[in-house]
Amino acid sequence: MPRRKRPVRHHATPPKKRDAKTSQPLEPLLNVHAIQGNILTGFNKDHQQLIALKIRNVEDTRRWLIRVLPSISSLFEVHQFNALYKARRVRFGQTPHGLIATWMNLAFSREGIAKLTSSADADALPDSSFRQGLGKDRAEFLGDPVPEGEGDPTARWLVGGTGRVPDILMIVAGDDPVQLASEIIRLRPGLKDGSGAPETMWEEKGEVLHDQPGHEHFGFKDGVSQPGVRGLISRKPKIYLTPRFLKRPADGSPEFSKPGQPLVWPGHFVLGYPFGDRSNGSRRDALPLARPWFKDGSFLVFRRLNQNVSAFKAFLVAEAARLARQPVFAGMTPERLGALIVGRWPSGAPFSRTPNVDNTSLANNDVSNNDFVFTVDTPPPDFLPKAGISADNFPRAMEGTHGPVCPRGAHIFKVNPRDQSSDVGSSFDTLTRRILRRGIPFGPSHPDPLRGDDGVERGLHFLCYQASIVDQFEFIQQDWANNSGAPTAGGHDLIIGQPGTPQRSLDLPAIASGNGAAKIETSARWVTPTGGGYFFAPSIPAIRTVLSRE
Amino acid sequence: MKINRFDPPANIGDFTSNSELATKWNTYMSKNFSAGVKDVTKTVTGNGGGTCQFYNPVTNGHSEPDLDPADITWNGFPRKFLGNGPGVPPDFAKAEQLVSAGQARNQDEYLEWHVMRNTAGKITAIQFTCEGYDYYEFLGKEAPDMLLSLYQKFISPTVKKSDLFSGVKYNLLNRWNTHDGAMHLTHPANNLFAEVILGAQATVRRKNKAGVEVTSADTLCKCGGFGDEGRNSDPAIGAAVNALARQGRMITLSNPVGLYIDHIDDSSFRLPDGSHATGWFQIIRGTPGHTLRAVFAPPAGSMFTVSDIKIGGSAVQFGGQIAQKITMKLTGVGSVSTLIQNSPIACVASVGAAHITRSASSTDIPNELPTRGGR
Repeated sequence: MPRRKRPVRHHATPPKKRDAKTSQPLEPLLNVHAIQGNILTGFNKDHQQLIALKIRNVEDTRRWLIRVLPSISSLFEVHQFNALYKARRVRFGQTPHGLIATWMNLAFSREGIAKLTSSADADALPDSSFRQGLGKDRAEFLGDPVPEGEGDPTARWLVGGTGRVPDILMIVAGDDPVQLASEIIRLRPGLKDGSGAPETMWEEKGEVLHDQPGHEHFGFKDGVSQPGVRGLISRKPKIYLTPRFLKRPADGSPEFSKPGQPLVWPGHFVLGYPFGDRSNGSRRDALPLARPWFKDGSFLVFRRLNQNVSAFKAFLVAEAARLARQPVFAGMTPERLGALIVGRWPSGAPFSRTPNVDNTSLANNDVSNNDFVFTVDTPPPDFLPKAGISADNFPRAMEGTHGPVCPRGAHIFKVNPRDQSSDVGSSFDTLTRRILRRGIPFGPSHPDPLRGDDGVERGLHFLCYQASIVDQFEFIQQDWANNSGAPTAGGHDLIIGQPGTPQRSLDLPAIASGNGAAKIETSARWVTPTGGGYFFAPSIPAIRTVLSRE
Repeated sequence: MKINRFDPPANIGDFTSNSELATKWNTYMSKNFSAGVKDVTKTVTGNGGGTCQFYNPVTNGHSEPDLDPADITWNGFPRKFLGNGPGVPPDFAKAEQLVSAGQARNQDEYLEWHVMRNTAGKITAIQFTCEGYDYYEFLGKEAPDMLLSLYQKFISPTVKKSDLFSGVKYNLLNRWNTHDGAMHLTHPANNLFAEVILGAQATVRRKNKAGVEVTSADTLCKCGGFGDEGRNSDPAIGAAVNALARQGRMITLSNPVGLYIDHIDDSSFRLPDGSHATGWFQIIRGTPGHTLRAVFAPPAGSMFTVSDIKIGGSAVQFGGQIAQKITMKLTGVGSVSTLIQNSPIACVASVGAAHITRSASSTDIPNELPTRGGR
């Protein structure tokens, strides 16, 4: 029996733009039952399978969509679960045993949407790169390497690329691998949906590395720094999506939810919401949308990034030995060089707060490990009394007059220069470049990287959500990571930077006393794209009423 | 840093055979620096801010060691024409509206460009310049024949002296530098004097009404009353210089003082045959890393126009698409010594965006320097 049709719900524009009590800009009520759950809060699961699908028959695809519609996880569900999980972890002091969930979200490429609606609809989506798709042109734009003997960077991709863009990307994630596998069987399109049900083009499992949870394959803690999305999940009682632990600054500087986590208007991640002015951060009204059903959707970038762990580690060993022979780099170790290149130690502790040695206590403190800025001595955080948090005792991050600083080409600086003005604006502009990362590693950890390549493929399923692929993901990759002179001068991002030249370089300030610097250079690539695509994750009502036409 | 003289931007060889000109240029630049020192000294001493951290390396250079020169970079496409809102594209057309004689280009990132099209509307070449107009005013006053020869070399052999001068006065907004070409910068803010004064004024430490030191780029620019916080360049320059000041260093600009094209990222430029657009960005004045003038045009023998190039699959329709891939820079120098611990002083009164201009009729330094709300 067909489900009762429900109309796409759209929140009316708030009648006022300032909170009557606080005089602060009014934060919008997020459409928590419409926005897919992975976008604003994240699945945060140890196991996550990506399944790329090709539409063969539109009607059978709609039939499948209608079948799996109830399983598409909403922001409300995922947020509620994550809040419960966190509460129990705090109460028990350990991972809450038995509290598990399995989530599923969908995203569609331009071709996928065109097949299910029309080319006119697909081309009305407000992102030119999405409309182009991640084929040869955009891959070249991103600086992706062209395999020898090929004319297209995507020629040997395992998923996506020119002419092979999946129509649909299904993300299924869970805490328990057995339950996840079972859910995938249930959700996967098959004959029960019709002989022309979507075909699986590619699929791959991503998993948290069991021997180094939360870390990517090079050994560094990943996903530490995420923006705090403004917006309410409930007006009465007033509940913010991102809890507030810090007082609002009086000087008009960016507001933070907790140290290192600036508040960003939801319009930078989900269509149809207020966004921040790039000059002063003030609330700007949502941009008009060409189709009502675009509201509550978000653009998803997927990149399958291979990581050559042995080459990266070998570089660190050789380069650290070379640098250590210079007086101002005396004592340089491979681990410390890695921390300079990344901006964090393997534990996730920021180099700025512990420039001499890794500090796992600092890394494990979720408030302290992101509490630093780049241009001034980082002031102590001004916590709200109700937050119940006091300042930590770890050394504060210093701007560097009398000690080592995080290089301006370090990965974490290149992709998020924080308080440092960039080549295109102030820290308010930087807020408009932020993305919500939802990546997870694939492949096993390298058992012994210094013994060389073991022939096993490993890397990262990089996933990120944003309201503009052009202004956010592509800008970060192309204008900052690939550019030696941006956000400020300092070299390339040696982790993900892909300039057009074979040589990449990073300016390294002295780590010992004295004036000096070095330029480290390499033509080696440790991260190579091997798949990907640009997608749109529509609202759940849009999938129901427009794409599946339930 | 101590130097014997200020050299022309990029050490360009304009004065090679004319030591008198070189001396006069040094005098002009030295006056600029001294004006900056005088202005800042008045500001900090008059407000209890300590001592001036900006210095003239010719008249008051020091022999103590310096930090490695620090490049300060920014994007060449004007910030004001970028879209405001996720996915809102830049207004490329507005950024390069053709100007007539007497009008300045509305391009304020120390990079200006002039687009040349054929009768079919296709772009055949784009001239890029980052040379301050005061350098050309200087040539107009001191070496008018050289000025004419530069125009004839880079703009058109048909340029006549009478096109450039009204009597003996050089007309920087002449037709060959506006409607028919871009010989040098025209925007009121785009001059070397402004660069020096901005660098000087940015050494002043500032605090807000709450007494908290101002460090963020745009706020500092506004508070310090230098430049325009709506640009990419001025806040970036100011923030970088002020960071050195907060560290207690003595600061100056690297010789040769200039505003430079650092590099272009043309790695994603593709021709219709799929090949890279190699050799299209041609440096014709200055050197790589210190480029004063460049032309983006088909190399000899190419069968394509600029409009045939695609960037990430999008056809080039405007010069701004190329400008957006250009990184600009200037270079500052700070002393190793960090002994000067000045006190932050209050912000200047805000009266609007600042353009630090040079008089078009004179290379003399004004007694009172403009702050915000200048021309």
